[in-house]
Amino acid sequence: MTGGTAALEMEAPPARPPAPSVKALSCPSCGGTINLKAAGYTVTVACQYCGSILDVASPEVRLITEYHQAAAELEIPLGTRGTLRDVEWEAIGFVRRSEHGAYPWVEYLLFNPYHGYRWLITNGRGWSFGEMLTRAPDWGHSGPALDGESYEPFFVDGQAQVDYVVGEFYWRVQVGEEAATDDYVRPGFMLSREANDKEVSWTISALLKPAEIEQAFGVRAPRDPWPPLPHQPSPYRGVMKVGARIALIAVGVMFLLTLLMSGGPSLFEGYVPVELDRRAQNVTAGPIEATRPYQLISIEAWAPNLENGWIDLDYALVNRATQESYEAYGVAERYSGRDSDGAWSEGSRGATTKLAAVPRGTYDLVVEYTGNGWTDAAYGSYSQGSTLNIRVTRASVFPSNFVIALILILLPLIWFWWKHLKFEQARQDESDVGRTGMAKVFTGTDEEED
Amino acid sequence: MQKVSCPNCGAEVTFRSPALPSRICDYCHTILVRSGGGIEQVGKAAVLPFDVSPIQIGTAGTFDGRDFTVVGRVRWGWTDGSWNEWLVLFGDGSDGWLGEAMGQFMLTKERPLGDVQSDPTIRAIILGERVPIGTEAQVDGETFIVSDAREATCLAAEGELPFTAITGTTIYSIDFRSTTGALASLQREKTLSSFYQGRYVTLAELRPRHLRAIDGWPMPAYGT
Repeated sequence: MTGGTAALEMEAPPARPPAPSVKALSCPSCGGTINLKAAGYTVTVACQYCGSILDVASPEVRLITEYHQAAAELEIPLGTRGTLRDVEWEAIGFVRRSEHGAYPWVEYLLFNPYHGYRWLITNGRGWSFGEMLTRAPDWGHSGPALDGESYEPFFVDGQAQVDYVVGEFYWRVQVGEEAATDDYVRPGFMLSREANDKEVSWTISALLKPAEIEQAFGVRAPRDPWPPLPHQPSPYRGVMKVGARIALIAVGVMFLLTLLMSGGPSLFEGYVPVELDRRAQNVTAGPIEATRPYQLISIEAWAPNLENGWIDLDYALVNRATQESYEAYGVAERYSGRDSDGAWSEGSRGATTKLAAVPRGTYDLVVEYTGNGWTDAAYGSYSQGSTLNIRVTRASVFPSNFVIALILILLPLIWFWWKHLKFEQARQDESDVGRTGMAKVFTGTDEEED
Repeated sequence: MQKVSCPNCGAEVTFRSPALPSRICDYCHTILVRSGGGIEQVGKAAVLPFDVSPIQIGTAGTFDGRDFTVVGRVRWGWTDGSWNEWLVLFGDGSDGWLGEAMGQFMLTKERPLGDVQSDPTIRAIILGERVPIGTEAQVDGETFIVSDAREATCLAAEGELPFTAITGTTIYSIDFRSTTGALASLQREKTLSSFYQGRYVTLAELRPRHLRAIDGWPMPAYGT
């Protein structure tokens, strides 16, 4: 300790036995024993035995309203303790509220002498963990903002009334008491404003995962409530984010591969004369150097003067070292003529044949080619001969493959986006504000909200 | 530090700060006031009603980097409840109040009225007027809004205090809030007013040591 803190030089307080955690009272109406859990803070008690409302603000307990009703059975009995977000809490009060009898929900008041008060709020479809704010939020352009996060209006100009209470409270709770409410949301959180003629208070509540509330207080919550809760985050948002990242990478890689593999180097180019005389001929082209571990070899054959004939092409790509052979077949054909509709032509004078996954090595390409002429009165005469050009390249993925892959990659994304949109629309349809943003843009004319 | 015997019961009582003239005997609850060289008895304080506050006399902590110790408390009551004001003594001999209400904590320090009475709302309160909730006041260019105004009665007190807290004394107490979480209060007893300004704090940020042990509740390890 420094000299400046001399005034604080004091012995630690004498070790005292722990203070009791409860103060026992007896209900002036039914005589039942009430164990006050938040002595010193609690102002009003609603007796758990007879429901009478008691004033415990002063040492002598006063009966405010006498009731003789059995206490409601609670999902979380008062006195239950549970650990939420690393702090142990005891349920000490219960309030049932509604919008003038409609849309009922309940609120449990939680207490820990070292951490103060919190709220557990549920409408039966999900649980939220609320804390009263000690300051008002800032105001953004469309709603309040807290700690840099903005909130969208969801329920506006509500009127909440108290329908039933049991337990202890730090204010004068009364059945029938009303407050003006507004609720604002962002995924996972709700920011609520309550105002009466005396004060305005703000509460931030976090949506609890069903497992969290179940572990803490042993109550079950629906896994996927529908329609979604106002502050329920879309389950598709995360998937879409990851999916979009993967898709972007995949498309990038594919694009790069296509670029690299298309228009690969020519490994061999040559030509032979061909007659359309149905005679099989052989030509060996080589050497063809395949330098990559594996490659797609493309063989292009093209007969520029072919007319009314076809050339059968049998390829054998033979490894010079191992004599291993890769075989393929192609045909170049071209027909033309004239009929009542005029001149016509069909077929292609060229043929591209691909051999996939050819391993590294030096190869010869053996081409067996047979020229055939077509004789039919309806056709013109066939050409007598042509040059057959042959070009061997280390070739590329079919561009159509790229398109198919793109669709395959994007389909699930579009699907998730669609599910996300439907989720957001269902969520926002519960709001007083209605659909906003994307959910509104993609609202069909046939499904306009009521 | 000054140690004397209680003129009423003989128990040892300690005055830690020369700035705090009032002391309530821990044993017989006699209110003692230092005047000149002597000790004067000015009445008896009521026994504090039981509460489950985590604070006690001797709780130490840090506020804005300055160490403090809790040396006294006044418990105030009003029609709809009661709250604690714990007197904290800082290392430099100055003091402040750790208010405790509705499970929330506020730390305020007294400011001279001369700093704030240029504001018409504050001046009106000092002069004996009552103001409605929602009335605005300007302090150092910041807007404060009256959030609560009530008659409060001293229910009981303990330890060392800057004034003599006579049980049953009634004050007019006005709470102000700013939108940034700053707060202030003005307390008027008859014609004497005091102005306090500060902010909400969490127990965790005060890193408190020597918190009060409460049966069945695990004590958080803040001060370690």
